[in-house]
Amino acid sequence: MMYYGSIVNETDTIIDEVTMVQMPVGNSYTGLDQAEIFCHGGQYVLKQILQQIYKFDIRPAEPGEFTRRAFLAGRIDLTKAEAVADLIASKTEYSYRSARDNLLGELSQHINTLRDRAILLLAEIEAAIDYPEENLDISEKKNQLESIEFLISSIKELIDSYKSGKIIKEGFKIVIAGRPNAGKSSLFNLLLNQNRAIVTPTPGTTRDYLTEWIELDGHAVSLTDTAGLRKSVSAIEKSGQFYAEVEMKRADLIIWMADISKKSWKSSLLYDLEKLSKFGDVLIVLNKTDLANKTAFKNISSAIKELGIYGLILSCKTRSGIGKLKKDLINSINKNMPDLTDRLVVTSERHKKKLTNSLKYLKNAQKGIQSEISPELIAFELRQAVNKIDEITGRIYTEDILDNIFSHFCIGK
Amino acid sequence: MKHLDFDILVIGGGHAGVEAALVASHTGKRVGLISLDKTKLALMSCNPSVGGLGKSHIVKEIDALGGVMARATDATGIQFRKLNLSRGPAVWATRVQADRTAYNQYICQIINNDPNIEVIEAAADAILVENGQAVGVELDSGESVMAKAVIVCTGTFLGGLIHIGEKKIKAGRKGEKAAYKLTNSFRSLGFEVGRLKTGTPPRLDGTTIDYDLCEIQPGIEPKPYFSYDTKAIEIEQVPCFLTYTTKETKKIIQANLKKSPMFSGQIKSTGPRYCPSIEDKIYRFSDRDRHQIFLEPEGKNNSEVYPNGFSTSLPEDIQLKAIKTITGLENVKITQPGYAIEYDYCPAYQIKNSLETKLIANLYFAGQINGTSGYEEAAGQGLLAGLNASLKIDQEPPLILDRAESYIGVMIDDLVTRSTTEPYRMFTSRAEYRLCLREDNARDRLFDYANRYNLIPKEKYSQFTILQKETDLEMAKLSKIVISVAKLGKLADIFEKKENVSLADLLTVPGVEYDDIEPFIGSNGSYLSDADAIKERVSIFIKYKGYIKKQEREVSKFRNMESQFIPEDMPYNELNGLRNEAQEKFTRFKPISLGQASRIEGVTTGDIAALSVHVRKYSNKQKNRPEVE
Repeated sequence: MMYYGSIVNETDTIIDEVTMVQMPVGNSYTGLDQAEIFCHGGQYVLKQILQQIYKFDIRPAEPGEFTRRAFLAGRIDLTKAEAVADLIASKTEYSYRSARDNLLGELSQHINTLRDRAILLLAEIEAAIDYPEENLDISEKKNQLESIEFLISSIKELIDSYKSGKIIKEGFKIVIAGRPNAGKSSLFNLLLNQNRAIVTPTPGTTRDYLTEWIELDGHAVSLTDTAGLRKSVSAIEKSGQFYAEVEMKRADLIIWMADISKKSWKSSLLYDLEKLSKFGDVLIVLNKTDLANKTAFKNISSAIKELGIYGLILSCKTRSGIGKLKKDLINSINKNMPDLTDRLVVTSERHKKKLTNSLKYLKNAQKGIQSEISPELIAFELRQAVNKIDEITGRIYTEDILDNIFSHFCIGK
Repeated sequence: MKHLDFDILVIGGGHAGVEAALVASHTGKRVGLISLDKTKLALMSCNPSVGGLGKSHIVKEIDALGGVMARATDATGIQFRKLNLSRGPAVWATRVQADRTAYNQYICQIINNDPNIEVIEAAADAILVENGQAVGVELDSGESVMAKAVIVCTGTFLGGLIHIGEKKIKAGRKGEKAAYKLTNSFRSLGFEVGRLKTGTPPRLDGTTIDYDLCEIQPGIEPKPYFSYDTKAIEIEQVPCFLTYTTKETKKIIQANLKKSPMFSGQIKSTGPRYCPSIEDKIYRFSDRDRHQIFLEPEGKNNSEVYPNGFSTSLPEDIQLKAIKTITGLENVKITQPGYAIEYDYCPAYQIKNSLETKLIANLYFAGQINGTSGYEEAAGQGLLAGLNASLKIDQEPPLILDRAESYIGVMIDDLVTRSTTEPYRMFTSRAEYRLCLREDNARDRLFDYANRYNLIPKEKYSQFTILQKETDLEMAKLSKIVISVAKLGKLADIFEKKENVSLADLLTVPGVEYDDIEPFIGSNGSYLSDADAIKERVSIFIKYKGYIKKQEREVSKFRNMESQFIPEDMPYNELNGLRNEAQEKFTRFKPISLGQASRIEGVTTGDIAALSVHVRKYSNKQKNRPEVE
């Protein structure tokens, strides 16, 4: 029902003329009694109206409360609730689109298709166990293996998508690291000044000042300066290094800065490269070219060849090389960005964990089928795999398996 | 006029009623067993066999809880088999062909010799209720029999109606009376009553079967017994035979489908999908040219044969025409036609996990009245209903078995959390903790209860605890004995690895059996228990150990949810944030715990999340409520 009327204050003075829609219980987003008021724009009017409303022992919703209520009322399932949270927190067009797809249930739909496939396989195995005397047309080992391989590769694909999913949701994480005085903070500030900084509006996501958000080619990028980290944590060098390493591990790309004005820079870098091998993508930046003379400059090129690296030559001071650096960064981001038009992306860490668990059980089941272990053990692994999938969206019902058995096999003496 | 008073009245002398009466008697109660025919106690209405997947597990549990079904089957078994032996121990299943007449006589003798049980030959017309409590039963003679508790085990006799083609016969079993007034009594007490259907094949004259055309299916030796007490049975064994329907059979049945009451619309109630009639199988799987038919002997001195797989309600002449097209049955004579039977049941959301009804205190339901099918399922419920009625009289809390400790627990939990729309039968796939619920460990799971409630002799329990201890000792021993690869001999090939190995680890390798490692064990020690029993237990425990451990982790998560109890008076209608459907479901099923609530059909994770918040709030409120003077 839609109403038209005025909102008045205690003295019957009209604040605004409004329309109001009342949604009956069960039909609203939260499943509860709900009303929406449409008023004219303007902060002042809005504030006045809210003030009147609050007088009736009504309070503003806490962050995420509507979604929580919708979830509790069973209006949306877990994946959808999580998608709403993502949607609210989305910082870029990309993350908005991915969250919206999740909300539309495309991810749940896809996951449910996989679940159905797993249940079908499980039903076959269960039928053979519970009806040992019937001549059932159970599919051959080869077909069972095909089914499970399909499941494994589909779930793997979803798990792999998390890398992009995480970038979509949390932004592309670049960590600037390197030895003391290599110019980390200079690069950090340079990149901040040259690019539009993003203000994170979400309360509760306070990030320390060593991480800032910038936009690069339409992507949200979080930039962390490990030099600052070291200072901020404490005077104890060791713990500082520990934090730097944690950040580096979480990075999608590490910018490793080497100071080529130092005489021993080559041997130092050689040593550092070995340590860097345990991390993900690393971009080596050779800084302070402004301090290197011409001969030294030539040496750099041959040193790069010698080391067998891709080294980007930069001077933070003169800003030479910064354009190239940005191009490299954008390339790296694009390389990790999924094509959202035809791919589903897992953006939640929780989903990724469940999928990883499920994959583990599927692999056990695959091994079991291959080595022909007793079917109740294969069924056990498959059930666990399905349970983990169900923890993402819903839950398991043994009736589902039985329904499948009955619809596919002629059973019963 | 008032009849003698009893502690407990049991209505119906089938498999549920008999177990209920016996357990009540064991716990010192005076029992009146009301049966339409006192010579037909525990008569097998359908196939003459006990056990099979899931069902055999229940029989083992009944045995561990002191019930009679396992012993009765062993004592009258004419063919013993164990199914699934090529698979793991969790899905091994004993199946025994029993001599129908001998089984019935064995049970009658036990009941008749039980001083605490009096069989009352009558029909029950009504449940007598005072102040919301069952206090007795009104018989068809007009007499009232009074008792402290009443257990209803009516089977197909509650409003039974047989269908053979268009012919309808009022009966609970072919040629027997049924109870028609009792349903009205349930309705007027406020119970929802539904109708289910089941069926049975014709019985054949075995002397007219050409067995040479069929495949013989002998039993196995040594015989796998149901009861842990059975040592040896000397009864002549009889084989079963396997044959097939033909294209001719298919043609005849397809041409006459409309004459089957299931297809003509004469029967509207649902039958079990797992036990379809032959017409149903041919209709639904029309691409198959033949279906298996097992020819099962009805007894040693009984030439009748039960053609398992040929359940039908077609008219008699069509039954005969069709069955004669089956290989080996070309000249067969039918001794009793197959039929479908409809009967009344009360959807099981109306009972608690103790099997007591929610509506009327001290009234218990067991067996087909709860929507189940099968002798074993009925017997398992009968036993629990009898025990819980007895405990209630003694003002003790009921025994409620959970899904992680028994198939009986799985069954009852399934019944009380789902709306039965077809007769419920046990399958091992219903048990999510299947690897822990095995035939071999039924006593490990249930003997403590049996001992606590005095359902078994004390010395049996102490003997078993010795067996448990000695099993542990033997397992410890196998972990300690380490063999060098060089000494493994043949086993080295199976073992594959090149390192020293303990016998326990060696036994976990697929293909290595206890007999293979036995030569390395050395002296057998001086165990009091049976060496073979220890051997079997040790080898199953060790082989399954890894999986059991994983499953036990799941069990502890499950128990956590089960132990979050929901107050019985939870006002579901007043709870915010619950969907209407969830409110209705919870009000209807009254789940005892969050775990159970989560298993109610149609309930979502969101409902459980919301409910858990309310349960916590509500419990706190109750706790903090000031004492009322």
